[in-house]
Amino acid sequence: MSTPASATEYMLLFRGNNWDKKLSPEELQQSMSKWTRWYDHLVQQGKIKSAHPLMPEGRIISQKKGQPVADGPFAESKEAIGGYFFLQESNLDEAVRIAKKCPLLEYGMIVEVRPVAEQCPALQRISRELAGATV
Amino acid sequence: MSRSAAYQSRTRRRNSVSVTEESDVAVVEDVSRLTEHLFREESGKLVSVLTGLFGIERLQLAEDVVQEALVRALRTWPYYGVPNNPAAWITQTAKNLALDLLRREKFFRDRQTDIAVSVEQWSSDSTVGDAPLFDTEIKDSRLRLFFACCHPAISPESQIALALKTLCGFSPAEIAKAFLTTEAAIAKRLTRTRQKIRDLRIPFEIPSGPEFATRLDGVLQTIYLLFNEGYKASIGENLIREDLCHEAIRLALLLAEHPPADQPRTHALVALMLLDAARLPARVDADGNILRLKEQDRSKWSRPLIDRGISHLGRAAAGEELSEYHLQAGISACHCLAANYDSTDWPHILSLYDCWANLDRSPVVALNRAVAVANVRGPAAGLEAVRAITARRQLGSYYLLYAVLGEFEAQLNHLAAAVTHFLKALELTELKSERIFLSKRIESLRQRIGSAS
Repeated sequence: MSTPASATEYMLLFRGNNWDKKLSPEELQQSMSKWTRWYDHLVQQGKIKSAHPLMPEGRIISQKKGQPVADGPFAESKEAIGGYFFLQESNLDEAVRIAKKCPLLEYGMIVEVRPVAEQCPALQRISRELAGATV
Repeated sequence: MSRSAAYQSRTRRRNSVSVTEESDVAVVEDVSRLTEHLFREESGKLVSVLTGLFGIERLQLAEDVVQEALVRALRTWPYYGVPNNPAAWITQTAKNLALDLLRREKFFRDRQTDIAVSVEQWSSDSTVGDAPLFDTEIKDSRLRLFFACCHPAISPESQIALALKTLCGFSPAEIAKAFLTTEAAIAKRLTRTRQKIRDLRIPFEIPSGPEFATRLDGVLQTIYLLFNEGYKASIGENLIREDLCHEAIRLALLLAEHPPADQPRTHALVALMLLDAARLPARVDADGNILRLKEQDRSKWSRPLIDRGISHLGRAAAGEELSEYHLQAGISACHCLAANYDSTDWPHILSLYDCWANLDRSPVVALNRAVAVANVRGPAAGLEAVRAITARRQLGSYYLLYAVLGEFEAQLNHLAAAVTHFLKALELTELKSERIFLSKRIESLRQRIGSAS
């Protein structure tokens, strides 16, 4: 099983799409310089495999009747994902150490760190159960 | 997962530099391509231009569009690199957002065609920012907005707050910090002011004809008020206040470049502010305590600002006009040009104060004149000059009156009287740096009284 301790790839999900709304132009520029410096440093160290900001709106696909494909998400919220880093890192602690240095935390951004699983956890469970059944 | 294009584009650029250490250089270049206050300056320009297109009753909309454009820069530049022309990028984004809004908002249905046409014309002008014509247009819009903000129907505090928000790109939080009030109070003040502009149908224009002169006076006064707000307490712990001084100078320069406002008194005000701002770096010691003129390290005064101030003072001398700004700038120049305190041309300063006191009967001016009198004819004459201030009662709760009296008495060796005055001054001011200064004066005088008895 792929435990956090053994994973070598981590996803940093940057949550919150309204932390910057009240900043002044001056503060926006400053926060951008800080972010750029942080990001470039990580790229230079070879820690980042890929990274992207996400457009605030796209489509939401669900089983909902009448609206299987809807526009969204719309609401500005603390939870909305604004972008991600796909990190190459040796363990969760290291990934967390990087996330803690995110320069936008002070403005209210939330960073979520998730180990990348080798296999879908649900599939893993099923195959384990199957293996148990055949023994 | 595929490697992202953004990542590749950045690394490719890095790799093309080929040496790893040089990637540091690439980073530095990226960030340094942004001039220090790029966002702040662009936001002031764009809000003005967009207000010209939408109409001043939709000022808030212009502010929102510009803010959104900056936020988009913030969200994409760090990943994809800073565009070659950052200002043009922001302008283009703001234009696109404005067009989107126009197409969406029902509010604009009746005016939509007109506005959309002008925005589209504007959009098709690909040389935005470089074209001289467009440059004049921007300047023009900023002045229109400035005159609208400084309309006499709006209170001076609100004029300053709105100008700082729209033209200088300050957030309500920053304005609140500068005026020692709450963000909510400033936000409320801004909303009310925008509402007032709508209700009174204050025009988005530079006034013309005989009205211009009075309106220009109002604008100059607002700029000077803004400057003083920053100057009177731009001490260590509140750096944003020094920013106010520089914003005031920037706005005045904007004004001075515009032909109808390019008047001697405009240049006199610019000179005055430059010459005062030049001495800001020497006003406090390492601990943030105020230093008097006598104690300041004059090598810390900014030569470039002094030179610019003197040059504007020269331009202010064109013509017959003599404003209070002329006299104050003249006084400030005397200080700036003196090699040290003792070689200050006090008689000349006193003659300038005499002129000023004739133009302005304010007891504050008279009080300042008394200090010049004391420097020319001694502390007793200074005391006499204070006693002669007719409207002295108005100064009753002004701490500087007692600070000045205390100083004169101390020089005359009337130590007990000096202490009484300084204590009164201490009671009347809340400025921390002033309080520290006054407390020290009181302390040292008490020691002298103690050792004498």
